[in-house]
Amino acid sequence: MSKEDLIIRLVNKIKSCKLQDFSIMEVCGTHTQSISKLGIRELFYPKINLISGPGCPVCVTSEGYIDVAIEILNRKNVIITTFGDLMKVKGSKENLIEEREKGKKINIVYSPLDAVKIAEENKDSQVVFLAVGFETTAPLIGLAIKKAKENNINNFSVLSNLKVMKPVLHKILKDENHKIQGIICPGHVAVIKGAEYFSFITEEYNIPAVVTGFESLDIISAIYFLIKQKNVNKKQFKNLYKTCVTSKGNLFANEIMKEVFLNNHCTWRGIGEIPNSGLYVNNKYQDFDALKKFNLTIKEESNDCCVCGEIILGKKFPDNCKFFGRECTPEAPVGPCMVSSEGTCSIYYKYRKVGKF
Amino acid sequence: MKETIKLVHGDGGKYTNELIQGIFYKYFNNSMLTTGIDAAIFPVTNCKMAFTTDSFVVKPLLFKGGDIGKLAVCGTINDLSVSGAKPLYLSSSFIIEEGFSIKTLELIVKSMANQCMQSGVRIITGDTKVVEKGSVDGIFINTAGVGIIENNFEIKPIEAGDKIIVSGNIGEHGTTIALERYNIKLKGNFKSDCDSVYEVINILKEYYPFIKIMKDPTRGGLATVLNEISNLSGLGAKLVEGSIPIEEDIAVVNEILGLDPLYMACEGRVVFVVKGEVAEEILDKIHRLEQCRDAKIIGTFIEESRGIVYMENIFGGKRILNMLEGEMLPRIC
Repeated sequence: MSKEDLIIRLVNKIKSCKLQDFSIMEVCGTHTQSISKLGIRELFYPKINLISGPGCPVCVTSEGYIDVAIEILNRKNVIITTFGDLMKVKGSKENLIEEREKGKKINIVYSPLDAVKIAEENKDSQVVFLAVGFETTAPLIGLAIKKAKENNINNFSVLSNLKVMKPVLHKILKDENHKIQGIICPGHVAVIKGAEYFSFITEEYNIPAVVTGFESLDIISAIYFLIKQKNVNKKQFKNLYKTCVTSKGNLFANEIMKEVFLNNHCTWRGIGEIPNSGLYVNNKYQDFDALKKFNLTIKEESNDCCVCGEIILGKKFPDNCKFFGRECTPEAPVGPCMVSSEGTCSIYYKYRKVGKF
Repeated sequence: MKETIKLVHGDGGKYTNELIQGIFYKYFNNSMLTTGIDAAIFPVTNCKMAFTTDSFVVKPLLFKGGDIGKLAVCGTINDLSVSGAKPLYLSSSFIIEEGFSIKTLELIVKSMANQCMQSGVRIITGDTKVVEKGSVDGIFINTAGVGIIENNFEIKPIEAGDKIIVSGNIGEHGTTIALERYNIKLKGNFKSDCDSVYEVINILKEYYPFIKIMKDPTRGGLATVLNEISNLSGLGAKLVEGSIPIEEDIAVVNEILGLDPLYMACEGRVVFVVKGEVAEEILDKIHRLEQCRDAKIIGTFIEESRGIVYMENIFGGKRILNMLEGEMLPRIC
């Protein structure tokens, strides 16, 4: 049987299952993108409700963090280096695109190592890398910090808003009212942390979970694996992405994280503060910590928050939010579900505008 | 001549003239230009004409498959061509940053002249301004152009059943520029598709009664242009995923960069909407041209899903393609 035939067969099998509003959450920006590009969300709706969890690190970057980045930009001789999609995320007032329009120096880079290079080439400037991401990007950022220390590139520093996955998953699953019946684990994080890192979902919460890749067959197989367990008492955990994900993960990458970072609490946009969910530069490498270098702290306003946290949990819909479509639009997003073009609110907004097809 | 552009090159005096004679007249050489009077004069026969203008600020100035000069000439030729016009005369204005290398300027002007020669158009008027360092990024070029409408081409109402043809692989210009702009060192077959499309349109003149609209999918790429057409027609557009021609290297690079080839600019492609019954015939015809060997019929206009462009894959998954909103930023996750 060809791959195409297999996909079509699985799709038909899923479509013929007796299901109603079976909620599956994925927690990886790339899964969100793939599901959207492949049209899988609409394909199985309303039998299956695919929810995008807090899997896009840019979308959950807090307002306070962006405000601090802008504050650093206001200092003399500063170059900010960042991943591209952070540019449009708003702080309490502005985003980095607006700062760039004012003539502030902001360079989009693909790798934190490029930021170190920019620091080497601009000795008279302070080069700050905006470190957002999960365990996927953290090792590379750790490596950049190590390299900067080894080579005495003292005009380089990192403003960290790195996050780890486990605490937020615990927060979601501990909520007694959540409606999640299956989880597609974050594929990229699993590459680094190993499949075992996520087995707690099934062991502690008895929710079926699966590690999978990003192609159509990967995602559809994962959905099939999860819905098959609907009436099974003891739920299962499975790694369907064995070509890339081992059970223990990438040990070298994990060593670097241990070497450079320490865990502390961190604020997730739309969700709030979660203990131990942030990775920060540790004391050994403190000369490369932008917060210390510029003597700043990230202050989170106790904001009148949107309901993104509950939308992610499958408890509420965008229409239940007072900001939706008013203060919160794709051009000026308030919560993470609107920041990401594939977030639940952004999709709702788009469909509401154009009508369903 | 000096090695770099000085402010005096733009003051209208001796140095300006030296630049005009030594570079612009040398390469754009034609009698309508070199008479040096304030406006070019050309005859007009009793016909409909098309007139367009575009400014070019691309960075980097030189890229695989072209440069800002070639792009400035092709861009205006293409806007005229997709309007059904045979491009004839172009103007060319340069805004140059003080300190710009004259050698690079010469390279750019030479490239413009080459493209003009190949396309049978002439640059018959122009202007040069030099601005202080930091006021522009190297060089900006504006071209405007006029052409004569051939075979009475006009845009016609789009009906359900009309087919969408794209004349070649998409996303190549935008991807090439993104790679160079973000300084990504990747090996592969990446090259801008920057080219004149007049030749493609020229061989389809006899089909004009069946061609509803022609567009060149520049900024915002194929997806944005199809949205524009869909809005204009009031119909929906259904695309078949596997049929959209994208070179494999381009697809992979976009995946890595977190970008989308459907939204990447093309600079040498045409999107045609044609009557369903002649679509295959038109495709056969353009396939004979080297630049169209990857041309495909990619979709159909439909009564349903009005105003929406969507793409369907082999298992029935649908993806709505919206217009490009805001700046396309690379994704990290």
